[in-house]
Amino acid sequence: MLEVSRLSVSYGQLRAVAGISLAVAAGEIVSLTGANGAGKSSVLDGISGVAKAAGGSVVFNGREISNRPPHHPGRRGLVQVPEGRRLFATLSVRENLLLGAGPHCGRRFSNSDFGGVVEFFPALQDKLHLSAASLSGGEAQMLALARGLMAKPKCLLLDEPSLGLSPAATEDVYRLIAGMRPLNIGILLVEQNVELGLSVSDRGYLLESGRIVLAGTPQQLLSDPHLVSRYLGAGENTPNHG
Amino acid sequence: MTDFLQNCIDGVMIGSSYALLALGFTIIFGVMRRLNLSFGPTIMLGAFGGAWLYLHFNINPWLVLLACIVFTVAAGVYVERLCFNAIKRNVAITSMVSSFVIWMQLEEIAIHILPDRTSPFPPLFASLSFEAGPFYVRSEYLFMFAVAVAAVFAVERILHRTWFGLRLRAVAEDPRAAAYMGINAGRVSVYAFVLVSVLGAVAGYLILAADQQVTPFFGLWATFKGLIAMMLGGMGSLPGAIIGGLLLGVIETQSLWYFGNEYKDLAAYLVLFLMLIARPGGIMGQRLVERRRLAFRRV
Repeated sequence: MLEVSRLSVSYGQLRAVAGISLAVAAGEIVSLTGANGAGKSSVLDGISGVAKAAGGSVVFNGREISNRPPHHPGRRGLVQVPEGRRLFATLSVRENLLLGAGPHCGRRFSNSDFGGVVEFFPALQDKLHLSAASLSGGEAQMLALARGLMAKPKCLLLDEPSLGLSPAATEDVYRLIAGMRPLNIGILLVEQNVELGLSVSDRGYLLESGRIVLAGTPQQLLSDPHLVSRYLGAGENTPNHG
Repeated sequence: MTDFLQNCIDGVMIGSSYALLALGFTIIFGVMRRLNLSFGPTIMLGAFGGAWLYLHFNINPWLVLLACIVFTVAAGVYVERLCFNAIKRNVAITSMVSSFVIWMQLEEIAIHILPDRTSPFPPLFASLSFEAGPFYVRSEYLFMFAVAVAAVFAVERILHRTWFGLRLRAVAEDPRAAAYMGINAGRVSVYAFVLVSVLGAVAGYLILAADQQVTPFFGLWATFKGLIAMMLGGMGSLPGAIIGGLLLGVIETQSLWYFGNEYKDLAAYLVLFLMLIARPGGIMGQRLVERRRLAFRRV
């Protein structure tokens, strides 16, 4: 479904992503973890076209999409839920959802588009006419996820969905992400909290300084001494990753 | 008192055309976060196109109105491509300067179209006067007011009841987030320019039809009136644009009546100056800025 080969992203002289390759299949949840500044969000921006790719290729459903304008991948079913949610604060919850529906919404506003999505997020059902600014952090993140689903995506790029949320809200949001499995959507999940990200994933990648240094199943990653020592706070003298 | 009220009626009628001009400035400012100084000159060029067809082919005034709209839309899209689409959002000053350069270019084109500088402009219908007690109103101003009210309702409906309006508000609030939603901000910007060009062309036609003449200086005049009305009402606020336009009309007619023609514009500038000191965001702009600030702080 989504195949990224040797993708590089640069901001001026700074190379944020240095030739990474990864893949996401339909119905699969793949996490991309790493420390702050490792280049996780830049990977997603490079895939979706929000950031210009300095090299490499992004193939989605057999089509090359790298360096297309950012509105193109969305139309093909590759939808990014950005870091910090980026909701439209002055618009209502319903209007935010309609914007997520994008080309699937058609020329007229229709309630039918809400059907399945709003059912999936019951917390939003009674708040459709409220301003997005009135939502709590957890509800706002749910709206961001719901908005992503409105486009009927084939693949979702989720950027730090736990950012700024309370532990309880984080748990709710991750329960919803795990609950998306039956929808057969490929999910590339960026998460700074390694354990949290891997807890819902089928596979994972560890990113450091713009390069993938580890890849495998959650069990393989969580038993890797390098990852354990650097990200899970275990003993200082564990052997170096080779 | 009768004179004062009559001036208010006249001011509201004339101010409705200023409100349409201010709406044009406000929509573009809201979407692009940049001032389009050549908005007035695009209207002027559209009017010159209509006047040229009227002079050479003696076409029906309704067709002149249609021609004004077509020429203004073409000029508006030209300005959008050259001054706004081609220049990144974070260099607003470059856009403003280039829109000023285009202003000069459009004036030159207008002078080449009709070198006589002042050209006749056809009214839609013969002028009538309606009286109610001590008050009266000219038919062309009543028509101007009715069209302005209809246009304001149409714009409100477009912005809040259509897919385009929703996208336009999204791009205005956060263009990057709009890109994440698959919205083509460039296309939305072109449609926004088409919308404001239609508004501007209708306003321009109604003003010029009341005067029955057009000169290349109409561009400067329209830009000044629209900008002052927008700043009085509050930059970026649609209700503010309407209130600012009507207020400017009333200030002008009152000062014309009580102080004479030479003080008409001076009074408008003085009120604007006082407004900028007392309420820098304009009548509605301050509240708009505060509301947005609170909303963004939460999300």
